[in-house]
This record gives sequence, structure tokens and C-alpha cells, in this order.
Amino acid sequence: MSTTLKIDSSIHCDVLIIGAGGAGLRCGAEVLEKMPGAKVVALTKVSHPQKSHTSTAQGGLAAVDPKDPLDSTLFHMFDTWKGSDCTADQNVVKKVCESAWDQILWLENRGMHFSRDRQGRLSKRTFGGHTRNFGESSAYRAVFEADRTGKGIMDTNWGETLKRGITFINLCMAVELLIKEKQCVGCIIFKQKEGKFVRIYAKATVIASGGSGQVFQVTTNCRQNTGDGLALVLEAGLPVMDPEAVQFHPTGIVGPGILASETLRSVGGILRNKTLEPFMVHYAPKMKELAPRDLVARAIESEIREGRGILNPDHNIPHVWIDLRHLPDEIHEKQIPEVSSFFRRYVNLDPKTELCPVRPSNHYHMGGIPTNEFGEVQDANQEVIVGLYAVGECAAASFHGFNRLGTNSILELITMGQLVADRVIEHMKEGPENMPKIRGGQFVTRFSRYIDAKGRDNIGQIRNIMRSVMTEKVSVFRTEEGIAEAIETLNEMKERAERTALAGRGLAMNQELLQRWELDNLLAVAMVICRAALDRKESRGAHFRDDYPERKDEFNYHTLTTMPEFGAVELSRREVDMSLFKARGDHYENFDFIERKY
Amino acid sequence: MTSTYDITLKVHRYDPDEKKSWIQTYQLKGGRIMRFVDLLRKVNDEEDPTLAWGSSCEHGQCGACSMKINGKPLLACELLVENAVTYFKTTTFTVEPLNVAPAVRDLVIDVEKAYERVDQVKPYIIHPVPPSEAGEEHPISPDELEKYVNATRCINCFCCASACISSHESFLGPNAMLAAIVRVMDPREREKEERLKCLYSENGVYRCHSSQACSFVCPKEIDVAHFIALAKEGL
Repeated sequence: MSTTLKIDSSIHCDVLIIGAGGAGLRCGAEVLEKMPGAKVVALTKVSHPQKSHTSTAQGGLAAVDPKDPLDSTLFHMFDTWKGSDCTADQNVVKKVCESAWDQILWLENRGMHFSRDRQGRLSKRTFGGHTRNFGESSAYRAVFEADRTGKGIMDTNWGETLKRGITFINLCMAVELLIKEKQCVGCIIFKQKEGKFVRIYAKATVIASGGSGQVFQVTTNCRQNTGDGLALVLEAGLPVMDPEAVQFHPTGIVGPGILASETLRSVGGILRNKTLEPFMVHYAPKMKELAPRDLVARAIESEIREGRGILNPDHNIPHVWIDLRHLPDEIHEKQIPEVSSFFRRYVNLDPKTELCPVRPSNHYHMGGIPTNEFGEVQDANQEVIVGLYAVGECAAASFHGFNRLGTNSILELITMGQLVADRVIEHMKEGPENMPKIRGGQFVTRFSRYIDAKGRDNIGQIRNIMRSVMTEKVSVFRTEEGIAEAIETLNEMKERAERTALAGRGLAMNQELLQRWELDNLLAVAMVICRAALDRKESRGAHFRDDYPERKDEFNYHTLTTMPEFGAVELSRREVDMSLFKARGDHYENFDFIERKY
Repeated sequence: MTSTYDITLKVHRYDPDEKKSWIQTYQLKGGRIMRFVDLLRKVNDEEDPTLAWGSSCEHGQCGACSMKINGKPLLACELLVENAVTYFKTTTFTVEPLNVAPAVRDLVIDVEKAYERVDQVKPYIIHPVPPSEAGEEHPISPDELEKYVNATRCINCFCCASACISSHESFLGPNAMLAAIVRVMDPREREKEERLKCLYSENGVYRCHSSQACSFVCPKEIDVAHFIALAKEGL
């Protein structure tokens, strides 16, 4: 069988983008705008770029409008820094916040259908953690396209890249990076539809493969977010940074786990427990429902743990309520129509008259492939891999540190997408010469293992066990004992996976083969999450250790993890960039390691 | 209230290696608010891992899991078992791929082929109106936006194209028409002529027979037929 595992053909291009979501295509659009005629190839694992996870982002995009006399970019930087629990990199925070409004205009000028105010200008709304005057009052700085902002970004960037002649390869996996002596020259891909392996040589390779939410059982992430990009760099011997920094959205809809946007709370939704008490006042007296995500998630989880949750009989999942009954019809119909309809569609209830069941759900991975402020990928010694870039949720520059503010993720996609493109263009203009011809071939070993495996088991069942243990032991609350148990389960699942024979034999559109590959990726990402979480004996942002509930200065660093073989995780550190603090400009004291209280 | 149902799925399968098509029957238990994607996953996890089908976001935002259930094109992620039993008055369901492109395997179709019709109408601003002042957005009043905003909600799931009674060979399809109509109505698009030429071409809106099947099946509840009627009247 393994004789069929050979390279079918080779392709040469200027820029290869692995992942065709918001970040990847923003990067592609910029390259094509500035270098018309460049050969840009974008791969996507889904059937079409529009099916990417970016399309599901609801709430909005944070950006300070220079015409707003009350807001300031400095406030946005402060909120991001404070929200990150002082672990974002300040050089990146500065760049992203400063270029935010230009990016909004870029999208608007290219046809994104932003919601408008009476004057026909872009409407703005407030979101958790976004404030004026360093925490004094809520800031109105999120522009949005109703509750489908991500779809607007996706459609606009897909349209722009299509217009400018990008080449898409859909239903395609990136299975091996071609790297030698700190230089990347492309990637080997597997085209699912044809069942063929193809080698792509590229002057620049941009990993934009999205998140890893499928590591957890209850998640807002799409089915494709299996941490493929992270596993790809781990396999190439490169690090993943801050894998333990995983965000749980406080309000996933019970059942499918999908996101009930923060918008529900910003328009006035109230969280209630079993006795219908509005409990947020006990956890964040000032911000209440608008407190940052991790605080709200822990508040809900605490209510549930202390027996004040409600059990959903169909899914056997405990939850709390979000009460939207008091909101005027106009808000239901104009501001939250899609989120509101989710409850009708997926739980069969009417949010205008009934309480809606929600619980914390895995939402976002702050950690990812370490890059510098230009999106260039670094190795464990923080040296740049020439020709290799990472952007979007799979990357960690790091803009979000240990906790991401709502509306900052799709902002990062488009700002970093453009910044990475600038660097890629510079790199191409320098004319990368003497690119070594790396042929690769590790993929043969890996896929032969899958195909030659003997034994009766089921990949879906193994995946489910992994996801349950990760949700139970390594999500909102973490302990040394729980994480150790999870690691043990991951090792067992890895062994079981190795002994699972595939039922289907052909390579073309073999879904089980894809899932087998994804399972290896999920297990690898879960393992580095666990090891980093175990090592960080403190609580910081979304990483909360029940046995070490305080943040500690001795952990003021980024975790770097590499994994030469499964389970053998090596840990090192990267310093947090404090350039805003060190520059000693106005209000620099707010960029020190400050307390994160709301 | 029944809490679980005994469900029978009759799934249209296709094997590209053997070039073989057949219908396979699966029997399984389905809880009342389980969705059809949950049922298909259950088949994969408990009975037959080879059954191929597609999904992505699984909450009606991406359109990757569109298929025909008992003949109706819909999103499998949005169909709850309880609602399906009530709507179709049966616990036996035929599951077929959408007929808008050839099947690649089982329920997975060649989406690229289907999208070629959308690409033809150029789903982007061809020739943008330059911004009025430096550093400013184009002002668009909420009333103006309201006229076409519903058409922008299309996710290209191709349910409308599947339900459409016009031929897929001659008509670009309702969703492709929406993509064109949005840009005719959007004040930021300067290139109206090419747009109108496309809308009124021999593959354009006049191929529509006004059955309104598109509006009837649209998972996003967009009144697709309304927009096509507007286009027929000259927008």
C-alpha cells in the first residue's frame, strides 16, 4: 500500500498560504494588490474558503476611530495589555492597535457591509474589557456587520483575492514543511479529492491554518480547527508558544457548544443561576456581565460547581441561564437576530419569552506558532526561519498574551495579515536566491503508519475520549492532578490510535484518513497544552490553576514548547516585550505588570 | 414527550474508486435535539467510518453541510431530530448529496464546480468608487443599506440552486444572482454596466421561472425570489 505514497507532481509559486481564512486571505490580497501578477497559492482544508472559521465571528472589530474625540489608540493598547494579563508583546500591541482604523477603511472601501448609524457612518458598540481613560468607563470602539462581522471579512477578502487572481487548492492538507538549515522552501500537500501528494516550492510560506478548538469537547470552533498548523511546526522541530493559553467563551449554547456572542451581554442580557439570581455582581461588582471573558467563564463555572447550575436532560450538560426576555423586540430583531435564532434553531426555544441555556465553551487559542512582530516564524532559540511566516489564530506574535479581548481576534487577522504581507513582499524583492531543493519525505513514514495499522478501533471514539478529558481536566479550572491524568489518557489514546486500522482503502476523499491525520495533530497539541499548563504553577489570564490561584512575577514570560517525539515535551522561555513601558512615554506606568481587576 | 427516536437513514453513496453508487441503510437512536450532523457523526463513530460527508462551522454560518433530506435541500447542522420527525412525519429519512455538482464521494460534492457559477458574476467590487475624503468611509444610510442587506447574508450553501426548477446548465443560479444584485445596489460599485450585462445575459435572471423555490428553502430565510424579481423589473 505504501508504494502509492509518492509525490505526484511539483508546483512552483511565489507565496504559499496554508489556510484560506481571514488572516491568510488578507495577506494574499495585500501581496496581490502590491505585486500584481505574483503567483499566490492558498490551500484550504475545507471545501471552499468561504467555509472557513473566520465566517462565524459575530460581534465586531475593535478599532479606534481617529475622529472620535473621546477614544484613543493608547486606551486600546492599555486594554489589550491589561486584558492579556500582562503577557502580550507590547511591540505587537502597538502595531496592531495603530493600524486598526486603516484596516477598517480597507475593508469598507472594498465592499464590506458594515452596520451604519443614522448619519451613514460606521456604527460602533461597546465590548467587554474595552475602556476609555485606562479603565474609567466603557469605550464604543467595535465596528461590526450586524452579528456576522467575520462573514463580512471573509467575503471581502475572498472576493479581493479572487479578483486579483489567487489560486485556491480546496480540500487540501499541508502535511510536511520543507525546511533545512533555518530556511523554508515550501510544503508537501495532500489533495484529498484526488488522493495525491504534491510538493509546492514557494519563496514564502505563510501558515494561516487557524485554531485548535477541537481539542476540547465543548467548543465554539468549526470541525476543521484541529491545530494542524501547530502540529506541522512541532513535527518540523519548531516550537509552539504559550499553548496553555486557551480561552473559554463564557456563553456557549448548550448542545452544539456554539457561540452565543458577547453581544448578548453588551445589549443587556443577564446571567442567572438556578434560583434566577443575577450572580455576576458577586464576581465583578463594577463591570458585571461586561467583565472580560475569563472572569465571566469562571463565574459561571463556579456557580455550576457550587450546585447552582441547571442540568440539560438531552445533553446531560450543566449550565446557567442568559436572560434576554426583557430586551425590546427591536434589539432581538436588529442587533442579535442570528444569535437569537440560534436558540430557536438548536434548542427549540424562544429567547423573547424563555430563558436560554449557556455554559463556558472552548473558544480561542491565544498560544500558537511564535513569530516576531513581522510574523516571521522563530525557532526555540528565537532565530528566524527564513521564508516561513505565521498569521492569525495559529500564530502567537503575541497580541493577546494569556487572554484575548472580544473583537480583538478578527482585528488581529486583518492587521497582522497585512503586516505579514509587507514582510513577505520585502523578502521577495530581495529575491531569495539559491533556495535549496528540499525533497522531504517524512510524510511517507507517517501515512504508511496510518495505512498499515492493524487492529479494530474507531478514530471518532478515540477523539471523543481525548476531547472529554481535556474539557474535564484542562479547561476553565486546572490542577496538577487533573492535568497529570489528562496526560496519561493522551498517551493511551496515542497508542490506541496507532493500533487502529482504517476501514476504507482508497486514498481519494478518504475521510477516515483525514480524521486519522487530524487525530495525531489534536493529540500533539493537547499534549503541549497539558505540559505547559502543568509547568506554569500560577494563574494568568485564561490559564487558571485551582492549586495556584494567583499570578506570580516569576512567570512573567512566554512558554516555548517543542516535542521531538510524542510526549517528550521540552520547555523553554521567551521574554515578554515591554517596549511601551520601557519607552517611558505618557502613561507608561500603565504598561508595567499591573493588576488585572475590573 | 418522546426523548429518543429510532431513526432510519437511507444514504446515497458513491465510491469513486469503483465508480459505484448504492443506497445504504443505517439504523440508530436519535435524541430530540440531536442534529443530522450529530447523526452522521454517530454513524461514523459507531458503525461505518467510511461514510463521507462535509461540515465545517455546524451552526448555519458556512453552508458546508448542505444536503437533501427527504428531497428537501437544507443544512444538516440545523435540522433537529425532533423537528425533522414533525416536519416530514416519519422517522425514515433519505439523505442525498445536493445535485448542483458531481459527487466526489458519498455526500461530498465538487463544491468548486458549483462555485464556478458564483465566480462568473464577480462576487467583489469590480471598480470601486473612490472614498469621498481622505481617511473616511463611504457614507451609506441605514435605509439604503436596508434595501439590499438581506442579500448580503447569503452563505453560498447552494440549497436555492438545488431547489431551483431552472436548469443548472443555463441558469447561473439564485445565489449567483444575489451576489450580482448586491453589487448593483451597493453605491460603492462603479461598474454597473458589466453587472447589468451579466444579470440580463442568457444565463441571467430571465432564466428564472419565478417558482420561488429559492426563498422557500433558503436556510438564512433570505427572500431570494424578491431580489430576483427586483432585478427583472430593472432594479
